[in-house]
Amino acid sequence: MATGLAQARLAEERKSWRKSHPHGFVAKPEAQPDGSLNVMLWRCTIPGKEGTDWEGGSFPLSLQFSESYPTKPPVCAFPAGFFHPNVYQSGKVCLSIINEGDGWKPSISVKQILMGIQDLLDTPNPASPARHEAYLLFIKNKTAYKRKIVEQAKKYPSLP
Amino acid sequence: MASAEELAVIEKAKVLMVGAGGIGCELLKTLALTGFKDIHLIDLDTIEVSNLNRQFLFRKQHVGQSKAKVAREAVLKFKPDLKIEAYHANVKNSDFNVDYFRQFNVVLNGLDNVDARRHVNRLCLAAGVPLVESGSTGYLGQVTVHVKDRTECYECQTKELPKTYPVCTITSTPSKPVHCIVWAKDLLFGKLFGDKNQSSDLVVHTTDQNTSAATEDAEFFNLKDGETFESYACRVFDGVFGHNIEVALKNEDTWRARKRPRPLHINEVCSDSKRMRIDTLTSTANGSSEHTVSAARMLGLNNHQEVWSLKENASVFLQALELFHATRKKEFGSLVFDKDDQLAVEFVTAAANLRASCFDIPMQSLFEAKGIAGNIVHAIATTNAIISGLIVLEAIKLLMDSLDDCRTTYCLEYPRRRMLLMPAELSGPKSSCYVCSQTPLCLEVNTSNTKLKDIVEKIVKGKLSVNSPIIMQGSYLIYETGEDLEEDMVARYNQNLEKCLDSFPTPIVDGSILLLEDLQQEFTCSLQIKHRETFDEEKEPDNMVLSGKFSTAARDQTSLGLVQPAVDNNPIQAIEDDDEVILVGDAAKSGIKRKSLEEDAVVSGKRQRTEAS
Repeated sequence: MATGLAQARLAEERKSWRKSHPHGFVAKPEAQPDGSLNVMLWRCTIPGKEGTDWEGGSFPLSLQFSESYPTKPPVCAFPAGFFHPNVYQSGKVCLSIINEGDGWKPSISVKQILMGIQDLLDTPNPASPARHEAYLLFIKNKTAYKRKIVEQAKKYPSLP
Repeated sequence: MASAEELAVIEKAKVLMVGAGGIGCELLKTLALTGFKDIHLIDLDTIEVSNLNRQFLFRKQHVGQSKAKVAREAVLKFKPDLKIEAYHANVKNSDFNVDYFRQFNVVLNGLDNVDARRHVNRLCLAAGVPLVESGSTGYLGQVTVHVKDRTECYECQTKELPKTYPVCTITSTPSKPVHCIVWAKDLLFGKLFGDKNQSSDLVVHTTDQNTSAATEDAEFFNLKDGETFESYACRVFDGVFGHNIEVALKNEDTWRARKRPRPLHINEVCSDSKRMRIDTLTSTANGSSEHTVSAARMLGLNNHQEVWSLKENASVFLQALELFHATRKKEFGSLVFDKDDQLAVEFVTAAANLRASCFDIPMQSLFEAKGIAGNIVHAIATTNAIISGLIVLEAIKLLMDSLDDCRTTYCLEYPRRRMLLMPAELSGPKSSCYVCSQTPLCLEVNTSNTKLKDIVEKIVKGKLSVNSPIIMQGSYLIYETGEDLEEDMVARYNQNLEKCLDSFPTPIVDGSILLLEDLQQEFTCSLQIKHRETFDEEKEPDNMVLSGKFSTAARDQTSLGLVQPAVDNNPIQAIEDDDEVILVGDAAKSGIKRKSLEEDAVVSGKRQRTEAS
């Protein structure tokens, strides 16, 4: 198998992540059942920001890259059913910087993607709701929304 | 007509043609009539009915047979003295390796996808064989020439990729007909007839007491016990175009700066008594076979270029949905949209138009919708014939060793300066090209008894002085070192060190390429593996031999998309300062030579390439 632009860029991203990355974040290629490590699929964890309802949680996120990366963005997804106004039922994140034809640029790094998604957790974008039920709760019943978020954060506790 | 001198070269030439489709048929004919005698032909496809209008070497009775083999037979009928070897195979098959490519004087591409073109490009580079590349889309086409170290390679320029659309646009805020068509074929069609387990974000979920219970229910798209096809179809209609739109309307913020959509209910579109309806069961019982079933035809809508009215779209939608249930039930769960599936095209056209109507987007005819849904650009035989002629002209120039006369030629839709064919000078290789800018090192090794550890110690650290190596094979990371690695990663890599090369999940064998980088140093090189059984204990004590030259220059970051060029029309600026240090020979006789690569002299403007053939 030849190494293409996508793999070369991901090797670069991996190097830069290993050299320095924000505290509390994890991002690494996924181990396959046969023990191999595929750079096209990364398993990440995003810590909830301190001082927000998301604090204390470490949220698993997968980044699926394609051969067209970095021309095209990776597909970023939380586990299915993840509760957030801008996260689809399937777990896919709806955020401008990772939408092709919207805010995505090939120069955006994995680090910037993950930090962008961390920001999104506590500052949902009501103009582009992906999940109606979370959206409605967010705009109509802040207390219930907060309760739900805190509950969810407990479901994904940070590793000591 | 070729000169006597040219003819002599042509008759001796051995050429490889990849692809026996639109361009391929024309090309094989032109090669044969020009006087080429020795041709290899590879194509993995079989002949389809839709090929017959332009792939003139094929006839109706050949449908289902190998394109390469039938093309060969057809040409041998009028040129029986030709030597044509036809392979019904994928060019990516490992039988067609570098050694196979080396036997040809020139390779001619008539392919329809970027992936295979890249593969052939890389093999031609590795084998040092010139490549004539081509493509056509409708009236447009181009032919160009790639010669290692002399011209750009196929991958020096990034290709425009087919566009994808953000999920939010498709599911919530469509603004163009294509958004509705993508929604209908990828989301709705999949939900109704495809794999139910595949996650889809089509359904608007809600917990709002007043609006819940419709399409959020996983069972919503299933036919209920005792439900007639008709009432089922109406229920789906109201759910998808009525209820879901109403739910979406509740997201006030979404519509602040956008036009609000209008929900559609079946009884408002056409009341029960006026509905166009044919009894599905009786009309299909009349012997029409599964794939010729057509809802539009049953409803008398036979002009595919005409845009249906809202009522007609609603009727086609209902009728097609009923027909799927009545005649195609056994395919449910595995159906994917196929542009040659008439009923599927009708369903998608109607569904897309109904959605378009909700969002006040223009509706499309079946013909247009089919084109958009199937990414069809209607092929034109004349373009392919012109392109094939140009391919042969470039091939002859290459065989005559006149690379300076070679051109990239664009075939235009409208004349420019009274010319339909626009020749352009070839560009030199791009120093930043990831594919052709560096020659891989070659490592001869016995892949069945050498461990990764041996390579890391003797070659990577020993000969190449890589400090903290990162080794990748294609998409797989096979080795890293460093303090920062987690324990589980370290354990995995330690296991890898003990594995023999050919026992990796993706075996490292003859022809495999390893990418080698250093975490700290700006070092990168690729290592081409060549399998060898035995080594001379005295002269080759390492039991492996490294050869070739390698560069230690930082890779041009723009080629990885890391840096956005500040000024778009000034590519020089983005690739300046690109000196390269080249170490020649293996470690024994190494000397360092500094070489400044010539910058691309010609700054070509934005060029279009067409990918299909």
